[in-house]
Amino acid sequence: MRRVFDSQLIGPFAAMLIVALIVALTTDRFLDPGNLSNLSLQVSIVALIAIGSSIVIFAAGIDLSAGSMVALLTMIFAQMLKFAGIPIFVALPAILLVGALLGFGLGIITAYGRIPSFITTLAALIAFRGLALTFNNGSPIFSLDPALETVFYGRLFGLPLPFFYLVFFYAMAAIVMNFSKLGREIYAVGGNPAAAVLTGINVKKVQAITFAIAGFMTAVGAILMSARLNSGSPNYGQTLELQAIAAAVVGGASLAGGRGNVLATLMGAMTIVIVQNGLNLNAAPSSVQNVVLGLIILLAVGIDMWRAEISRFLSRLRGGATKSAR
Amino acid sequence: MSANDSPLWEFVNISKAYPGVLANDKVCIKLMPGSIHGLLGENGCGKSTMIKTLSGVQQPDSGQILHKGKEVRIADPDDARRRGVATVFQEFSIVPTLSVGENIFLGNMPRNRLGLIDWKTVNDASARVLKKLDIELSPETITGSLSVGEQQLVEIAKAVAMDAEMVILDEPTAALGEHEIEQLHVLLRKMRAQGTSILYVSHRLDEVERIVDEVTILRSGKVVRESGETEINVSEIVAAMVGEDVSEHYPKENNSVDDVVFECQNLRTRFGVNGASFDLRKGEVLGLGGVLGSGRTEIAHAIFGVDKLTDGALLLNGKKIEIKNEMQAINAGFALVPENRKYDGLFFNFRASGNITAAALPRIARRGFLDLAAEAKGTERLMNELEISPQAEKKTVNFLSGGNQQKVVIARWLFSEANILIFDEPTQGIDIGAKIAVYKLMNALTRAGKSIILISSDHDELLAMSDRIAVVQHGHINRVVGAGELSHDDLVRASSYGDAGDARPAAAAARIQTNSNESLAAEAIQ
Repeated sequence: MRRVFDSQLIGPFAAMLIVALIVALTTDRFLDPGNLSNLSLQVSIVALIAIGSSIVIFAAGIDLSAGSMVALLTMIFAQMLKFAGIPIFVALPAILLVGALLGFGLGIITAYGRIPSFITTLAALIAFRGLALTFNNGSPIFSLDPALETVFYGRLFGLPLPFFYLVFFYAMAAIVMNFSKLGREIYAVGGNPAAAVLTGINVKKVQAITFAIAGFMTAVGAILMSARLNSGSPNYGQTLELQAIAAAVVGGASLAGGRGNVLATLMGAMTIVIVQNGLNLNAAPSSVQNVVLGLIILLAVGIDMWRAEISRFLSRLRGGATKSAR
Repeated sequence: MSANDSPLWEFVNISKAYPGVLANDKVCIKLMPGSIHGLLGENGCGKSTMIKTLSGVQQPDSGQILHKGKEVRIADPDDARRRGVATVFQEFSIVPTLSVGENIFLGNMPRNRLGLIDWKTVNDASARVLKKLDIELSPETITGSLSVGEQQLVEIAKAVAMDAEMVILDEPTAALGEHEIEQLHVLLRKMRAQGTSILYVSHRLDEVERIVDEVTILRSGKVVRESGETEINVSEIVAAMVGEDVSEHYPKENNSVDDVVFECQNLRTRFGVNGASFDLRKGEVLGLGGVLGSGRTEIAHAIFGVDKLTDGALLLNGKKIEIKNEMQAINAGFALVPENRKYDGLFFNFRASGNITAAALPRIARRGFLDLAAEAKGTERLMNELEISPQAEKKTVNFLSGGNQQKVVIARWLFSEANILIFDEPTQGIDIGAKIAVYKLMNALTRAGKSIILISSDHDELLAMSDRIAVVQHGHINRVVGAGELSHDDLVRASSYGDAGDARPAAAAARIQTNSNESLAAEAIQ
């Protein structure tokens, strides 16, 4: 049976620790409490969006729309708060709903329109960015609401609020993926859609739901983005979708679907952010950061793909030793 | 047989160990030119290990490989190919979007002076190969448009085109119908006459009996019968493979009672079901007999809600029911063990439990959450009952043998407590021990009052395990007769479009298959 803390977590967890260790050795500012708290703020947006990206990937889909959807949602959110005079406690759930509906729409087009999700969400990636520009003549909207900043910068028991969002949403996601009927159906659809059909699973519905979840989590990320900068902008969220997918992949999710653990995605996101943080602290230019991010993704997938060869190589080393001993 | 008496290839005391298993234990085998050599044994007996060694996929730990009497080392698959060894694996390696000629020369396309593909040579040379083998296909046909049987012939033509002296066939007939098997055998005999050595691996013993010249039987990595030690007949072979006398190869129980539980009336779909009617009794095994492409699987799909009915009615216990999709079929108590467990049966990302409960998640769900304890308990019970390897719960199911995988798929429908089970080729590609386990399971199910619709291309199995047989032709049921009233030959004749005398029946079947729409239309007009 699938367990929440299974072997799939060990690799990504080890990778995260190794990366953290290397960064801690190269700079003494890494373990500074201020830096660690900053890290949890930095990781929060991409890690929350990565929950949705992972779930879509588990069902053998891909969501490229997250970054542009963040831009669109921050603009809608800013419009509501700044110009439409909608109170924040109404605007917050409204944005979550809009995100979930946009995602669901993409899911419906993908599943029932039989268009590959790569194409639907690529189209959305382009179109959402364009839609975001239709608000406020394409200019960012600043100074939305002083209360909004609390959503991102507020603290509880001395810990930043985004830390609690991470705990809450990852706990929810882990419970759904490991203990719910829906979670099981998502893994089944990703593992073998043809078999899922013959076992009476409504494959199209399940696929559409994964995109709705992704849209919802993107909206959560968009709200944090708006709160962090107290603004909305059509330029927010560039490449965020790729970072979220990278987090899932570094966490060991198979892009072919069916395999992956949502908690491992959190480790993946942290690994990526720790590397970026380490490069920052060591004053590496941002160009280098992107190159390193690319290499991490290659390495993570490579290790997964070459697992058999690596273990064969290791056993040959050992076998060779015993043979020569004979 | 060839006049040449020295072996083409010889294995002398070949051993190969994997972690925890001695897969080949001092195996000796002589492969003679111009001979068809059957390599038999249950799953896990070491057949695949031998094939992999001979085709250069892996190296033996010890022992010698002799090629025409000289000791050689087969470094890799390419080396094997250069030494004239061609392997046709169970999963085809042809590319469906390419032409027959392209497939035949895939990997060593003739080039012209400009380095571009020399199409004339491709087509001429492949036409020559096809002619040599009496395969009436055009080199320019797109391979994907051919029947599975014809694709298999292309696969073998590919081996012949590279001048292979040694052809290894791993389960060549798993996907073929009776006519196509016959055509394959004609081809193999022709190759044998031309001096090719053929190593033939199959679970279909009736067909082994017909084609091979000698057999080597393996059990637990050891050769238990060398060539010449066994008479080539099914019961001797089975006894040697299993290691005990299996008198009950088909342990059929008659549990059928007269109550009709399910009835199909004049089913039609757009996918080749053309007015199929039959009834199914309580505790009965109803066999659907017919050639590949006759519409047996399509009838199963029509019942199970996979294909939409355009006409006809389904009656469950005398009451008309609507089945619009698979979920409704499952809720009505139907089960489908699909033809190809790898393609649409198993979830390879799950262990046994996830596979077993997949069709009955509502049964273990409370308000959307799964009762994992109930799942574990139910799974454990079924795994014990069906004697599924305990490994099935430790690893994902891709690590299991074919027999265990099939049992997992069947266990799924025991967990869903289905009453009417459709078994589509339930014993394809599994070893004799697992086959007998499946037959016993069918007995247990019918004893419990459940009914089974059995689709099988293995005619012996179909005749032995069914209570009645419905002969399917063009998606239509010609007649339903008691299994005892039908012989193997009757069944072949009854399902073979009345052209049993045709010299090229497989091609005829393929033609009918590709033109099924027109022929159905023609029939409808009549």
